[in-house]
Amino acid sequence: MFKNYLITAWRNIIKNGIFSLINISGLALGLMSCILIMLFVREETGFDKWLTDSDRIVRMHSAYYNPDNPPFLTVRSAGNMMEAVRDYAKNEVEDGVRLIRFGASVRKDDSALAEQVTFVDGSFFNIFDLSFVHGSKESSFKKPNDLVITEETAIKYFGKTDVIGEVMTVCCVGPEPSTVAVSGVIENLPDASHLDLDMIVYIDPVIVENNSGLNTWTSVNVYTYFKMRPGISLEQFQQRLTYWIDNESPFVQMFEENFGELAADAKISDNMRHKLMYLEDLHLRAREDAGNMGDLSPMGDKTLIITFSIVAALILLIACINFMNLSTARVSHRAREVAMRKVLGASRGQVAVQFLGEAIVIVLISLILALALVELLLPLYNQALGRQLELSLFSDLKLVFALLGLGLLIGLGAGSYPAIFLSGFQPGHLLRSSKGAESKTSSSLRLILVVVQFATSITLVVCTAVIYAQTQYAQSVDVGYVSEDKLVLNIRGAGDNRQRLRHELLKLPEISSVVYSSESPTQDNENNNQFTLLDGEHVVGENPQVLLNYHDMGYGFFEAYKVKPLAGRLFSEDFGSDEIKQDSDGQNGQLSASVILNESALRKFGFTSPQQAIGKTLESGNYKGQALTIIGIVPDIYFRSIKFGVRPTAYTMNTNRLRVASLTFSTNNVAALMEKVESIWKQTVPMQPIELQFLDEMMKAQYAEESIQLKMFSVFSLLAIVIACLGLYGLASFTTERRTREIGIRKVMGASVKDIVALLIWQFSKPVIIANLIAWPISIYAMLIWLESFSYRIDILWLGPICLVVGGSLLLVAWATVGGNAAKVARANPIKALRQE
Amino acid sequence: MLKLHNLCRMYRTDEVETVALNNVNIEIQKGEFVAIMGPSGCGKSTLLNLIGMLDSPSSGQYIFNDEDISSYSEKQLSAVRKHHIGFIFQNFNLIEELTVAENIELALLYHNIPAAERKEKVLAVMDMVGVAHRGKHMPSQLSGGQQQRVAVARAVVGNQGLILADEPTGNLDSAHGQEVMEMLRSLNQQGSTIVMVTHSPAHADYANRTINLFDGAVVTQSVRAA
Ligand SMILES: Nc1ncnc2c1ncn2[C@@H]1O[C@H](COP(=O)(O)OP(=O)(O)OP(=O)(O)O)[C@@H](O)[C@H]1O
Ligand SMILES: [Mg+2]
Repeated sequence: MFKNYLITAWRNIIKNGIFSLINISGLALGLMSCILIMLFVREETGFDKWLTDSDRIVRMHSAYYNPDNPPFLTVRSAGNMMEAVRDYAKNEVEDGVRLIRFGASVRKDDSALAEQVTFVDGSFFNIFDLSFVHGSKESSFKKPNDLVITEETAIKYFGKTDVIGEVMTVCCVGPEPSTVAVSGVIENLPDASHLDLDMIVYIDPVIVENNSGLNTWTSVNVYTYFKMRPGISLEQFQQRLTYWIDNESPFVQMFEENFGELAADAKISDNMRHKLMYLEDLHLRAREDAGNMGDLSPMGDKTLIITFSIVAALILLIACINFMNLSTARVSHRAREVAMRKVLGASRGQVAVQFLGEAIVIVLISLILALALVELLLPLYNQALGRQLELSLFSDLKLVFALLGLGLLIGLGAGSYPAIFLSGFQPGHLLRSSKGAESKTSSSLRLILVVVQFATSITLVVCTAVIYAQTQYAQSVDVGYVSEDKLVLNIRGAGDNRQRLRHELLKLPEISSVVYSSESPTQDNENNNQFTLLDGEHVVGENPQVLLNYHDMGYGFFEAYKVKPLAGRLFSEDFGSDEIKQDSDGQNGQLSASVILNESALRKFGFTSPQQAIGKTLESGNYKGQALTIIGIVPDIYFRSIKFGVRPTAYTMNTNRLRVASLTFSTNNVAALMEKVESIWKQTVPMQPIELQFLDEMMKAQYAEESIQLKMFSVFSLLAIVIACLGLYGLASFTTERRTREIGIRKVMGASVKDIVALLIWQFSKPVIIANLIAWPISIYAMLIWLESFSYRIDILWLGPICLVVGGSLLLVAWATVGGNAAKVARANPIKALRQE
Repeated sequence: MLKLHNLCRMYRTDEVETVALNNVNIEIQKGEFVAIMGPSGCGKSTLLNLIGMLDSPSSGQYIFNDEDISSYSEKQLSAVRKHHIGFIFQNFNLIEELTVAENIELALLYHNIPAAERKEKVLAVMDMVGVAHRGKHMPSQLSGGQQQRVAVARAVVGNQGLILADEPTGNLDSAHGQEVMEMLRSLNQQGSTIVMVTHSPAHADYANRTINLFDGAVVTQSVRAA
């Protein structure tokens, strides 16, 4: 019996060649899109779940609230917190660890490479139970400066993994290079981990003790993780932590000293939040707590994952609708077959099972095709995403079953309607009717489904178009400085050779200037400090105390970037008084230096014109007692991606903080220039890896994430349209076939070919137009919400034209899809059609 | 009104060549009621289609209203057709998705007539053929005779002077057949030229001339005294 069904199913698939083809290819494309997206979603949602006890590990995020400023959010916390919390919450917490990461240059023998080195407490492996290839949890991290590396790193430096006892040098973190010895080699971490570790060093407690970045209650630099005791929930631990902050922590005293008694209903934890988050949630949810700063690895985006899951579901829906529509449209062709089967004694159930069987066979064929397509496209997809997603069908039974289940579900879902519909016919009615059993409801249901398909595709395309427009706009906004002719060179490792390096570089004819700064554009760290407006000893002005972002720069920085002052002057050697004085220069309190503000900072202090601020004095929390004279006002420039907007900023000249050089060049042969710069670097700064980049490329890299999302959106919405049009084509050829007699009659009545084509095209324009009317408000609403998150966004009036253009184009596509067939039918001689019974 | 001169129509399929009409010469005057008879497959429908310009002759001349239309393009034929010729078919050929009134209106739809005027004309002919109260019904809700009356209404609504009917009574019982024949006669009396194919001698008696076809050629023509 079952075999009989399979045979009939197969024959029917063959017999209805073109429609089976449309059905199968549409479904295969839909399933392919769905599988590709789901692979991505699966990886994104599975981050860190593979770690032992991952459900007991939490990280502590900090947030500081300040009435005058936006809250300062970060996924890091203060260096002193971990030990204090661990010791206090003994019942909740098993152990804790701090991570702090530095870009460092790592030397081994004659080679020096730039690396991200993670310094950790000795308890690291108590929290993160990573697998060792050589050495063990117990034998590693016996003493400070013990190093654990991944297999990959071991191979990179030593060509083998068995490297315990080998020694390397880590530079540029502490004042002196430190010698580290390999005490263990761990397996490479999977991509699906937010930790992203290559080299882990047991940080010297002595360094911690003396390092103001680590031994602190107020400066947040470290990533703090705790492993909770079994059975303890995050909420319990969170409660304990909050209680401690409010009642027992050193903050209680600090608050009292700074602000006096707290109001009765106020809590310290309201001003200073310490929020715990499960390890498993970090990849997708850390963004909520991250503010303007990053994490150990690029953060995932929960909204994006949800969005893409929805896209996958929608594409599948479109493909399923094709399937349903084409099957029911075929009814008139198969009505007689059904009738005859029933006359010969088949029950309704048997007929239904036959149709379901056919549906499932088609879905399974599509699924196999889809898997082949996924296999084929995966390398390309991975390249675009920057991932290593795999379709491991043979090792991943769960995936196989999930896919088979999905196939079966689609088969049943999409096949049940035609099955119920067809099997329910009265045979007498079927055999009598000249037109088959096509009822009005079934054909209007088909049109509704087409509307759904096109509304979905149009929404996807409009969203893609808006995202594209916004991305283009964001990149085209004038950042306020010239970036095309800049190379950015990291000079942190250059030390005393800095001046010689600059001298040598300037000898190159291609290079016209070399200027220093603490950060280059795009590298903006969240460096905030309190600045106070002073008149002598007195605090003055409307808003005397303001939290400002600050950068340091050397002479000529603004000139090189072609930023002109709005008032006053830029830093200049001629005055000799601009530099921040170091403590050793003299007594605090009698020193003076210069500061330049941007327009936002100017407004923040309440000045109404740039001129007004010139000559006024500021004091910075960093340089207490040092009078900073405002010498100039510069326009707001986007030091960072325009995603983050412009922050009120103070520019000072602390020569100790200058870490990057910007090289202004002009050449047609950039490769040769890069080589020349590199060779100068090698001569002047031996044993240091060079970090040299084009500023333009650094700026583009800021939009890498968006550009990937955009690519995905474009490809998948294009696929959605292709699938929808496949269905429309099938449906159109069916209906025109069904309408040949009507067309014949109309022609006899005097309709021209043009009239007929217009008639048929209108039939299919209607659903597309209705789809537009549904899709526009939905996509406009969605895009308004999306655009809200950008400080600089396209004028929302653009949404209208975008909708119109997308809707119009899709209408044209639909016409093209339907038109060819319609013209053919319209040109046919009507006699034949009229003779047909 | 129309004149066929040495008209031939051949059908060529892959191997066989069928001569459906062979040197047919017929002249039909305005106001005539002509019946065409003959055995099945002798070419009656082919002849009617040629007269109705739904088909083109393989050779020969076709003069319609003093104009040689043999060389007309499809577009020109369509224009002549929609203004001068109405069709009635054995299987009615009503569009099942449209109501009775809409089916009749179809014949005016491609004539550039304002909607209000169209409606008026449709109501008038519906009244004339006696389906006025059925305007909103679907064709499938009517009996065969009623459907054919709708088809007649559709054939005349555009004031077409020539009505071509291919076995209009073929699908009807004798009572309904009679009804349709009476209607055609009254149309003829009002000035319409009618060419009708029929297998029924009784119905052929309604005509004032009968043309007998055999194997694609005219064998006899008999004229009845009015
Ligand atoms: N499209 C066609 N292709 C090939 N041969 C055709 C075609 N149409 C008609 N014929 C042939 O031409 C001849 C005349 O056909 P026609 O339909 O005019 O006959 P008829 O007199 O109307 O018959 P009936 O009384 O059965 O309706 C027949 O032999 C028929 O087989
Ligand atoms: Mg015939």
